[in-house]
Amino acid sequence: MNLMANILLNVTIAFLVGSILLGFQRKVMARIQMRPGPPIIQHLLHTFKFFLKESAFPKTAAMPFYIAITAMLCVIWVAAVIVGPVTEGSLLLFFAIYAIHKIVEHNAGSSSGSPYGKLSCVRAVFSAAAEVPLFAVLIIIYLKTGTMILSSIVTYQNQHGALLLSIPLAALMFFVLILSKSPYSPFSITKGKDIVSGYETEHLRGYLMFSESISWYMLLWIFLTVFIGGLNPVGYLIGMVIITAFVAFINALTPILNPNHSVMTQVTLAFIGIVGSVILLLY
Amino acid sequence: MDQLKAVSWFVFIISVASILYALIINPPYWIVYAISIVFIPLTILSFGLLSMAKGKKEEEEDKRREPFIGY
Repeated sequence: MNLMANILLNVTIAFLVGSILLGFQRKVMARIQMRPGPPIIQHLLHTFKFFLKESAFPKTAAMPFYIAITAMLCVIWVAAVIVGPVTEGSLLLFFAIYAIHKIVEHNAGSSSGSPYGKLSCVRAVFSAAAEVPLFAVLIIIYLKTGTMILSSIVTYQNQHGALLLSIPLAALMFFVLILSKSPYSPFSITKGKDIVSGYETEHLRGYLMFSESISWYMLLWIFLTVFIGGLNPVGYLIGMVIITAFVAFINALTPILNPNHSVMTQVTLAFIGIVGSVILLLY
Repeated sequence: MDQLKAVSWFVFIISVASILYALIINPPYWIVYAISIVFIPLTILSFGLLSMAKGKKEEEEDKRREPFIGY
């Protein structure tokens, strides 16, 4: 297939599947809380709706950076699709993309001039301090498989079995990373409802929702590829639905932690994950 | 036509043309990656800026004012 067509197809799939999964997550959360909840396609419909609604640019916004930073969010997740499903490239590139995502959160919060955005901007720095240690999972994967290339990790798992079973604590660390990026998560301090929509306040909503859908799909895709590996499209879809439902259960049953608790919980999990994984690798 | 709309049309046309170029001509890999990373987000952004509703001129000032300055 033509490379550009392949990229366009994968970006479209990531957007559509990601949107439906985020809608599914809201549905599961609603059912747990004894509410009928919105239809599963609600997130997708909202994305289209916000593309048609008027966006006002606040006087306090740092133009044109205010618009450019939303484009940046989309740029990094389109790049993630290329690194992931299209080329099955290096996990290190994915780490770089995630690190830039934290910078985007920070700068989007500061560029609108909204006080809610500014609070979220500060919290993005807090949460980066907690989430980035979770990426020690990459070192553990490298120590176990001897490679950072996604296609080689899949080959390794075909020969030696899923990494989920051999380095479960690393999988747990990555899962916490996914959890922290999900809406209504106990760790989503940058988008907590106490600060309206956090760094997204005042920004182009439809465009951000588009990028978020791709981001959710990509995080799940990376998790399934790295820790289970060798799945066909149906396997990926089932895996994504299961993880999303599991995340929805956690999010429906836990409050959003305050920033200090969120950071300390994640750092503690990172510490347990790193030390535990090293011990598992040694014995 | 205001400045935002004019710039959005310009970016939209350039982006769609670049994507079509990569689809039809099949250039080297690195050019396709560069086009996708830059122009797919720009296509969607410019499409969003073109398709969004436009409010009344007299209400614009109220919408743009940041109500929380001073906190």
